[in-house]
Amino acid sequence: MGSYLDYQSSKPVDPRVIEAMMPYFRERFGNPSSLHGEGDEATKVLEECRQTIAGFINAEAEEIIFTSGATEANNVALIGYASRNKDKGDHIIISEVEHISIHNIAKYLEKNGFKVSRLPVDQYGKIQVQKLASRITPQTILISIGYASNEIGTIQPMAEVGAFAREKGIAFHSDAVAAEGLVPLDVKRDLIDLLTLSSNDIYGPKGIGVLYVRKGMRVNPLIIGGGQERGLRSGTENIAGIVGMSKAVEIMRTEMTAEVKRLAGYRDKLIKNILARIPKSHLNGHPTDRLANNAHLRFEAIEGESLILALRDEGVSAATGSACSSKTLEPSHTLISTGLLHEEAHGSLEFTFGRFNTEADVDRVIEVLPPIVERLRKLSPLYKAEETAT
Amino acid sequence: MKSTQYSEKVLDHFRNPRNVGTLEGANVAWGEVGNPVCGDLMKMYIKIEDDKIADIKFQTFGCGSAIATSSMITEMVKGKTLDEALKVTRQDVADALEGLPPIKMHCSNLAADALHEAIKNYREQKKAKVPLPVVRATKGPAKEIIGEKEFLKKGVYYTVDDPSLFKDKRVMVLDRGNKSLETALALTKHTGRVIFVTPSKAISAEAELATRLRQSDVKIIYESDPLEIRGSEEVEKVLIHDLNEDEEYELFVDAVIILK
Repeated sequence: MGSYLDYQSSKPVDPRVIEAMMPYFRERFGNPSSLHGEGDEATKVLEECRQTIAGFINAEAEEIIFTSGATEANNVALIGYASRNKDKGDHIIISEVEHISIHNIAKYLEKNGFKVSRLPVDQYGKIQVQKLASRITPQTILISIGYASNEIGTIQPMAEVGAFAREKGIAFHSDAVAAEGLVPLDVKRDLIDLLTLSSNDIYGPKGIGVLYVRKGMRVNPLIIGGGQERGLRSGTENIAGIVGMSKAVEIMRTEMTAEVKRLAGYRDKLIKNILARIPKSHLNGHPTDRLANNAHLRFEAIEGESLILALRDEGVSAATGSACSSKTLEPSHTLISTGLLHEEAHGSLEFTFGRFNTEADVDRVIEVLPPIVERLRKLSPLYKAEETAT
Repeated sequence: MKSTQYSEKVLDHFRNPRNVGTLEGANVAWGEVGNPVCGDLMKMYIKIEDDKIADIKFQTFGCGSAIATSSMITEMVKGKTLDEALKVTRQDVADALEGLPPIKMHCSNLAADALHEAIKNYREQKKAKVPLPVVRATKGPAKEIIGEKEFLKKGVYYTVDDPSLFKDKRVMVLDRGNKSLETALALTKHTGRVIFVTPSKAISAEAELATRLRQSDVKIIYESDPLEIRGSEEVEKVLIHDLNEDEEYELFVDAVIILK
């Protein structure tokens, strides 16, 4: 078994979650909309799960809408809110460092008559509320800022943005997928109106997610049908998935504090050792306000996909922001937004730790990465000039 | 096909690249091909004897297939005449590697281009009998940049009296001679991100200053011109024109220093 250090892209389902889900495929298969006993049982478990998940973010049960995942939740939050509230204005603000789904939804809204401002970030990927203020217009109806960057792990000043948006009477959405399970979420503390959650990102099954919609917020549904989820998300409820997500939340609530401490230890050990052992290496993202599981590093004069291939040969799975590995051959938009040149973004490597990692995984990377970087630099026309500089 | 789904042959050339390095001496020429947007850079060195490629070496900054195609082409053309080598296409290289993911075809294009560039340089060298490459001369009065006046003192500064005011900022210093180099160096004491933009191919500073610059964390962007300063109320990014590749891109910064 190799060292899987790409928990940001996909997580295994916790075995305790699978166990909790199993009865809901065969014995407890009822549809909550049915009036018989099986249906009532399904309704009961659905509402219990809703309550559990609401508690995880300090929300009320009726504020939780189940979706097919975080991407759908982001779609309802932005498109559903914008289309419902377009009589109030046509302007939306997102940040430059959002997840690709938010960026592409924003482009879709632009094609459909909305105006989008993209808030720049500092060199660590952090937004500044003063810069938000300069972009507000009377037409601004929605601000969407990811809780933390799914790439470089920088945590945004949520409470500050929330207070600012509430004072201005502008709705505030946050995609919290990268942060869930790593940071205690509280929609009341941070004054968040719409919040996206994913099940897989807390070791639940894929295909299920949540949009928190604060009481009083009006959004249009994107999926029309039998009127489930208060009419905001039709389609027979995925009870097994919902039970899985709820179980994942329960486990997280008891284990998160210890888990975050353990992962932060791995992160710090990796960052410290790599920066010390590999010359011309840098940390991307914020030095302190960063997710406990995220080590995003950059190596001058080499390219990320080459690093991934070489690490793969050593049984280590990681990710990169390099253009060469992306479908569009564009470098990571997040890295470019922090002020990096394309060639610098090219040499980035992202390690994200998770529940099933051990210290041996960290040690493995510390052992195999320095010689890989050295070998690839020997091939690089950019490194020679820099070698003479040190 | 995913970018990393390579043939065994590509992986073999990636893991054990052939003919890595540089060449020097008589009858040697080199070609360089880069792509600032995707970031790849490839250098191909050839040594010519009797109109044939007697030796060939490469250096590549790029992805797995960029390295594999460079390595592959060196094996394919060693011993060939220059005319034969010029006939090698990106498709030939991809075929020799038992195929490349479609999205990666541009990388093998670079390997063939770099070789063709080297051959072209060799022939021009022979004809002109001057060493290549020619360093571009780019001195002259600096023209005003779009947005320069609009953002004056809102991120654009004509003088730097106190470099500590730029603490932890991303600062771009435009090449205005030795004084601007000194300014860039002074700023590195206060921020980790100093970018020096010059239209030249190399920095022409006295030896002592050049050494200090090389040893510093100043990031130099050569052969580039700032076209426009952009932002909302204050400087947020600069549109850069890459003169070598004739491409434009935005660079996010907090301040731009234009010494007058």
